[in-house]
Amino acid sequence: MIADTGRRLSPRAKAALNFLARYGTILGLAAMIVAFALLSPRAFPTVGNFRNVLNQASLAMIIATGLTLAVIVGELDLSVGFAASLHGILVTGLIVSDGLPIPVAIAVVLAAGAVIGLINGLIVTKIRVNSVIATLGVGTILTGLAFAYSAGVPIVAGVPEAFLQLSLGHWLFGIPNDIVVMVAVAAALWLLVERTPLGQEIQAVGGNPAAARLAGIEVDRIKLLGFTISGVCASLTGILLASRLGSGTASAGDSYLLTAFAAVFLGSATLRDGEFHVLGTVIGALIIAFGFNGLNIFGAPTFSQYMLQGAILIVAVGLSSLGRSIAER
Amino acid sequence: MMDGAPFLVAEDIAKSYGGAQALRGVTVALHAGEVHGLVGANGAGKSTLIRILAGVTGPDSGRILLDGRPVAIPSPHHAADLGMSFIHQELAFVPGMSVIQNIMLGLPKKTRFGMIDWAAIAHEVAPVAKRVGLGAPLFAGVKGLSTAENWLISICRALIRRARLIVMDEPTASLSAGEAEKLFRIIADLTRSGVGVLYVSHRLDEIKRLCTRVTALRDGRTVAHLRGGQITRGALVGAIVGTSAEAQARAQPAPRTGGVVLSVDGLARLPRVRGVSFVLRRGEVLGLGGLVGAGRSEVARLIYGADRPDSGTMTLHGQPFAPASPAAAVRAGLGLVPEERRTEALLLHRSIAFNLQLANLASLRRGPLLDGGRRTRLALGVIRDLAIKAQGPDLPVARLSGGNQQKVAIGRWLLRAPDVLILDEPTRGVDIGARSEIHRHVRALAARGMAVLVISSEPEELPDLCDRVLVMAEGRVVLELCGAGLTRNAVVAASYAEAPAHGVSA
Repeated sequence: MIADTGRRLSPRAKAALNFLARYGTILGLAAMIVAFALLSPRAFPTVGNFRNVLNQASLAMIIATGLTLAVIVGELDLSVGFAASLHGILVTGLIVSDGLPIPVAIAVVLAAGAVIGLINGLIVTKIRVNSVIATLGVGTILTGLAFAYSAGVPIVAGVPEAFLQLSLGHWLFGIPNDIVVMVAVAAALWLLVERTPLGQEIQAVGGNPAAARLAGIEVDRIKLLGFTISGVCASLTGILLASRLGSGTASAGDSYLLTAFAAVFLGSATLRDGEFHVLGTVIGALIIAFGFNGLNIFGAPTFSQYMLQGAILIVAVGLSSLGRSIAER
Repeated sequence: MMDGAPFLVAEDIAKSYGGAQALRGVTVALHAGEVHGLVGANGAGKSTLIRILAGVTGPDSGRILLDGRPVAIPSPHHAADLGMSFIHQELAFVPGMSVIQNIMLGLPKKTRFGMIDWAAIAHEVAPVAKRVGLGAPLFAGVKGLSTAENWLISICRALIRRARLIVMDEPTASLSAGEAEKLFRIIADLTRSGVGVLYVSHRLDEIKRLCTRVTALRDGRTVAHLRGGQITRGALVGAIVGTSAEAQARAQPAPRTGGVVLSVDGLARLPRVRGVSFVLRRGEVLGLGGLVGAGRSEVARLIYGADRPDSGTMTLHGQPFAPASPAAAVRAGLGLVPEERRTEALLLHRSIAFNLQLANLASLRRGPLLDGGRRTRLALGVIRDLAIKAQGPDLPVARLSGGNQQKVAIGRWLLRAPDVLILDEPTRGVDIGARSEIHRHVRALAARGMAVLVISSEPEELPDLCDRVLVMAEGRVVLELCGAGLTRNAVVAASYAEAPAHGVSA
């Protein structure tokens, strides 16, 4: 509908629409912050609350920026939430039950994340299974593994304080560790995509795989890389989540799937015309975090969070395709 | 045999697309119960004429008479209502539906209590299916049926619609010899019952055998109406090629005799490529001519590692060469500018600089990062060297004209300077000015020692551009032309070469 009427738009209206499609999400974020600050001047605009929001946003942002790599190469990864759940259980289990030193346990789980991402990628590129189906299947298997490993019971007892400090501590200038990790991951992935030769290949593969292939780019290898990064970020989120909760629970990370997708699609409608990019995802994750924070401050019931999240996802995908249709005009 | 008034006449039809005059005055008269051949080289205007008859596009001038009365054909739906059916090379079916559903697609169907009464419909369709010899069960799915059976389904659809005219575009292009024979029998049966057939084909033997009248097009004009005994191979080739156009010997550049860079021996991938051998030398521009569908682009894809050959070998600089992927071919020193630049060469929404860098990323590395300044300098260099009309390297490629887009696709390889560059239809959809510029750049690349392989369907282009031309027909190289023998007419005539052992080796 918009594409149809768009042809008859005046240049000024078109420019306005263009501006809205690119900067609308950022304006929305700013408007939301201002509105919350006006409505709740004592609780909302405080350093403590903003740190709280960023802290809440950090895990979702890590998983979402990882997912961004998968969607940039033109695939979807629906396994990330389930993977985070499994990795949370795995890391606590390795520490509590198997007595592995914490760094070793973390390394093992990150490697497991890479392997799961690689498996997703191989199913998609070698067996040519649609990525929605492949990663949904793998994600469901991971859920099964999580329940099998934990026998359905959360691993709570005996989680060492040092592991809890991983998420709760603030080792760098008093900044919470979660936020430090979030910034590091987002910065590293932004650099990779935007500022390295490999990143140009990643963008080319997502933009036009046929042209990328004929330009001499190893398309399948780039897709494997996208899935692997997505898998590693999911495991990082799982580890930090287990540290934050002080336990490994078989479905603790599942809800991050939807949050991550909402952030990624909001991000694609930000600054660029429907293109996925890391900075956009960061902004998308912030919008969602501030939205939830506002609901909490105003005492909205929990179910409203689900409704908001679903609505955000739909609006985000809508904005994203609007951006693309403007770009094609 | 059938005389009297024609039932469909297209009179003095002209049509231009943008600046290009596709039809300049074409007249065709079709009689009931005859097979009318339509011949002409690529770009002569056959497809445009068919599109106009089918109501896909309208003529700029001229008129169409049906039973002596002028008619307008504003849409494909109207064409069908007027009794015309079109069967295209690429047959369009709904894959998940059954044979009978596809036959009845878009037709009003008998209903019983508001439900489609397939049994009653099958009762009507079955005799038609039997008449054309359609063996597949009506309620079976169309998936997995052969091309020949798909043709029969299309003919059934035309007959159920009570078509008076069936237009067949290259019907035998993907049929075996046996299947083609069967089709010819069906065509004979159709004409006996008064249906007219407009038969479009490059295969002159079929035209000679089937058609009672032939209209030949060249450069958008009707150049000959032949009938009966006039339809000979010589007359057809003469009409298609024309005799006046040329004759002047072309200025022959000094022959380039560099060493062999790429040698191809017995390369085959059925059904399109059936054994191709040639050598490509340093510093030469080698043309690959022939008709659309002769297998030229497929040969390029095999050389470039985009497809794997069934058989045959290649050497590059004397070493065995069997690229597993385009990436491997690029590493070995090849480059390809594909035919479909918008879908296979460029990322349209991305900038000129982004598109230019894609084959050259290794050279833009500074430490772990991309050297943005160097990228911009290289892009500006290409924009200047190829005279790409753009405000700057950050402009999205989608905003460029076709010719400038093509220059970007070529420019990507200038930066890498491969040993072998393959250009597939480098000037398709490119205006005359940009076209001669692209030709000049290609020649310059060869002069610097690159070995260039150019595929073109425009017979004029190859003699202009190439040192040597191989003409392909039906998946084989049928003729090599060079020196004074390399003329437009020779390329066209060879394109229509009789296929050696057609259909048997498949």
